[in-house]
Amino acid sequence: MGAIAANPVLQRAIRVPPAYLVFAVLLITLWVTKPQLMNVNVMGIFIRQVAPLGILVLGQLLVMRVRSIDLSGAGVLLVVNYMISSGIMGDVPAIAYIAMALSVGLAVGLVNGYLVGRRRVSAVIATLAVTVILTGIIQFLASGKPPGDMPGYFNDIYNTKIWIVPTPVAFWLLLTVLMSLFLSRFVFGRFIAAIGENPTASHFSGVPVERTVIASHILASVIASVAALVQSASVAVGSIRLGLEMPIDAVAATILGGVIFGRGDGGVWGPFFGVMCFALLFVVMTSFGVPDPGKQIARGLIILLAAIFYGLSSSEK
Amino acid sequence: MATQSFKTYFGRNSRQGLWYVPLLITVVGAVILTVYTDDFASPQNLSNLLSQAMPLIIVAIGQMIVIVIGGMDLSVGAIISLTTALLALDAPAFVLVPAVFAITALIGLVNGYSIVKLNVHPIIATLSVQFIVVGFARILRPVAGGSVPDIVVSCVAGTVFGIPLTVFWAVIVLLLGWKLIHGSRYGLHLFAIGGGVSSGQEDAAHNFGISDQRNVILAYVCSALFAALAGFYIAGRISSGDPGVGETFALDSVTAVAIGGTQLSGGIGSLHGTLFGAILMVLLSNGMNLANLSAFLQGAIKGAILLLVVSLQSRKKMGL
Amino acid sequence: MSNLIEMSRITKAFGANVAVRDVSLELKSGSVHALMGENGAGKSTLMKILAGVHRPDSGEIYKDGEAVSFESPRHALDFGISTVFQELSLLPNLTIAENMFLGREPVNAIGAIDYRLMHKGTQKALGDLGLSLEPSTLVSELTIAERQFVEIAHGIKADAKIFILDEPTAALNAADVEILNEQIRRLKADGKAIVYISHRMDEIFEICDTVTVMKDGVHIATRPLSELTPESLIAMMVGRELETLFPEAGRAGDSALLEFTDFKLTQDSEPLSFTIKAGEIVALAGLEGQGQREIVRSAIGQFVPYRGTISVRNQTVTLPVAESSGVRSLKALGVGFVPEDRKEEGLLLSLSVSENIELGIHSSRSAILPAQRLRDTVKQTMESLGIKVAGPTAPVASLSGGNQQKVLLGRYLALDIDVLIIEEPTRGVDIGAKAEIYRLLRNLADSGKAILVLSRETVELIGLCDRINVVHDRTIVAEMPAKNASEHKILEAALRQYETENEL
Repeated sequence: MGAIAANPVLQRAIRVPPAYLVFAVLLITLWVTKPQLMNVNVMGIFIRQVAPLGILVLGQLLVMRVRSIDLSGAGVLLVVNYMISSGIMGDVPAIAYIAMALSVGLAVGLVNGYLVGRRRVSAVIATLAVTVILTGIIQFLASGKPPGDMPGYFNDIYNTKIWIVPTPVAFWLLLTVLMSLFLSRFVFGRFIAAIGENPTASHFSGVPVERTVIASHILASVIASVAALVQSASVAVGSIRLGLEMPIDAVAATILGGVIFGRGDGGVWGPFFGVMCFALLFVVMTSFGVPDPGKQIARGLIILLAAIFYGLSSSEK
Repeated sequence: MATQSFKTYFGRNSRQGLWYVPLLITVVGAVILTVYTDDFASPQNLSNLLSQAMPLIIVAIGQMIVIVIGGMDLSVGAIISLTTALLALDAPAFVLVPAVFAITALIGLVNGYSIVKLNVHPIIATLSVQFIVVGFARILRPVAGGSVPDIVVSCVAGTVFGIPLTVFWAVIVLLLGWKLIHGSRYGLHLFAIGGGVSSGQEDAAHNFGISDQRNVILAYVCSALFAALAGFYIAGRISSGDPGVGETFALDSVTAVAIGGTQLSGGIGSLHGTLFGAILMVLLSNGMNLANLSAFLQGAIKGAILLLVVSLQSRKKMGL
Repeated sequence: MSNLIEMSRITKAFGANVAVRDVSLELKSGSVHALMGENGAGKSTLMKILAGVHRPDSGEIYKDGEAVSFESPRHALDFGISTVFQELSLLPNLTIAENMFLGREPVNAIGAIDYRLMHKGTQKALGDLGLSLEPSTLVSELTIAERQFVEIAHGIKADAKIFILDEPTAALNAADVEILNEQIRRLKADGKAIVYISHRMDEIFEICDTVTVMKDGVHIATRPLSELTPESLIAMMVGRELETLFPEAGRAGDSALLEFTDFKLTQDSEPLSFTIKAGEIVALAGLEGQGQREIVRSAIGQFVPYRGTISVRNQTVTLPVAESSGVRSLKALGVGFVPEDRKEEGLLLSLSVSENIELGIHSSRSAILPAQRLRDTVKQTMESLGIKVAGPTAPVASLSGGNQQKVLLGRYLALDIDVLIIEEPTRGVDIGAKAEIYRLLRNLADSGKAILVLSRETVELIGLCDRINVVHDRTIVAEMPAKNASEHKILEAALRQYETENEL
């Protein structure tokens, strides 16, 4: 281990997010084995599938930079999905749905932020419990049955394209650029970087640590509600299945992208490629006929290996 | 002198957390149920209640062992599912049963090793292992079904001398848990490690000459084995394999342990607290069922209880 | 008398900081060996090497003439070396008895811990020290002095041949010290070797046979105590000329910038007050753990004092302040707090030099504002501090200790604050960088700022500061102009001899 610490080349190499390498490997695998899939239209559809995940990751990377985690995205997703597809809001314009989604995100974020930042509850437990509560309530309201159809115009927007780029992907890209600018050009980004590196030193430097952690959680949940809108648009029928897959995939993609509990080597684009890896991974696995459980194993392995990778490289310090 | 005897009484006991709170609530709840329902206190119903509570009690004991050292094991639910799936394979019991415990011990070893040697946060390590384990359970048994060996069923169901086997399970599991947690040097060392972690002096236990790394790995092996035991019990009850049967146990066991007065930051807790915590959880489900509450709403209420209990515990560290 | 243990030419460095350099020490059975030196002289590090906590970089340890090396504290204990450390290391959630026997608990027939035996053993060990504490009491419920006694009991109960007592009396009063001395004499009579670290002269002369003096990690002398007087011992501890390390003293202005008024650290401590004027550098000096750290940290909410007020210019803050906002509200008043532990509390090591300097400015602004480009400020700061680094984007971790400290100072320089509270300005910094940092601080003071310094290095305080406040037992016991101060005087004042001498 000491050899890694001593060698500057290796030290730099260990800070490159694994996402880029994994992405390249998956791309080559696909190119060699299924060349017929390598065209703009097909790839567009694949990437469009992960746009909600990609948006969710933007919030996840924020909280993981400040050494927290957010698994409440699943709950937000479910609530927004249900509110839109069940028709309990009546016949309202799209803007009302958007306002509803953002307020759900804001409310969940406030709860998470209070619990994690102020009450110092373990973030995993707190956000997981929030998801369990929201899921239970929604399933109860829906009496366990799928609620109903999504309004048509949602799906219509989802299926449009801007030039050759599917609209959801363009939207995801736009948000990623915005987040990248927010983190690199605003004081908030400096606070995030400082807290991730060392909360104690940040506190002594005058950074409002508690407030920044709370704000990150609020932002993450609001972003989750945006992801929920995109996700709702991608499906025709509402769903009430408890699905931790999305937030867990978001955690995995973020770690793959080089952002983990304080360390932000991958910035915003590392996790972006982490999500792209997932897009390709699902294609590769599906095309090789890997069943669902196999995907679950892959999911677990990716998180574990990425965490081990960072665990080892941070113990070098 | 009065303060001395007070200290004598509460000295070692105050390390055991607020275990009497769940006991009190359980007793009050039981009294209310006895008064307002016809057959709550009947031997039949109590025996049913115990067998409902048994799996959670077993898992919670294992969960408590890792929580005492300031860790957590979110893979226990997956291990339960895998155990039932393994036991429902088409093979003789004398192969299956040892294999189950060997495999689950290995899972615990992976958890412990990742945490101690590879520097992975316990929650992340056990969460990702959970996905891997559930994945394997689903490959072995995509949907609930199959049948477990008869010997497994007869180890769990039925009576001996007119006493339900569940009672024997309870006695054996509690003795085992007591021995590990309160009746051995190992148990005290777990508390020492947890006390060091929660008071910010991580090296303290090590400086006393305790081999903390080995003890921590062993704790995760213990929690995996207890989960396997719970899986064995469930397999015997449902006499089939079910890859989804353990799903709720990870969070439920954490809730039971937390209700039982064990501090999630480590170093404080007791076996009897965990026992009462688990019983209270099951009693609550029982009560909610009697009140005809929707199963979905019950899930939400359990989540709210977890949130309430953990937010009442104070912690210095922020984040994960 | 035979040599039980011999430490030969031990060297130990932490990073660039050499804590112990080429020190040898011989311990004889039936003798009490005092180890003396100022704070940070390397005594504790040397003893931690003997106790198996640290491994030496070079040098040998011989037991009965045979080379040994200790992998762990447990290993050292197996060799018969038992330690009572200065900082408390008891586990708060375990009982006294459990702490006493931790790692070697007796078990009964069924493998359970034999609490009866443990309680009996504990009661006896505590009884020997004249204590009647209940063995089943949790350590978290004990007072500091009681914990110290448990720690002592834990150390001397062991069936060891060598006992290391590292400032065991720090939390004890005179009567308690006598009880401890009784035990040390008993151990001595039993033929054990004892290393005794203390700052209290009377104790040293009462129970020790030999003394080894260390300074700056180096062995100064080893003498029988019968040849020494307290005065000659202090002279040995201090004994070096003031280097030409320090800038010329400045000229204090008229306006008071920082004032501590009617400040009581704890309910039963004496109140204290002091004022720092523009252009002044003022020190809080004293032995370890006398409360100086808590006094300054009360200002940022890290410690809750009993009462007191702080005035900056004419704005008054009533203590205690909230921990979460303490640093920020002080900064809003124009006070910068430079913490002692550069790596844990000060710098963001993997971030760049410029990010570290800019953070002070950024954190004074709202999070949703654009982060200003401060390239010029950073450049200016780096130039005026003479930070030697490849460029502003280099990670701070790659810098030397001196340059790291300058980056930390740069954060406050760039902020343009009025008052600087600084703990250990030159900890882990080489001599050249020390001189530069002293000059920087003096320049800051000359430009009309007020500086409060906390340091374990008395020489540094004398050379750097204008006035020195000596802290003892949570209050200021003496105040002297630095030009009249000497290490001797400060040490004596810190040892509570100063006042009596002045009265004579």
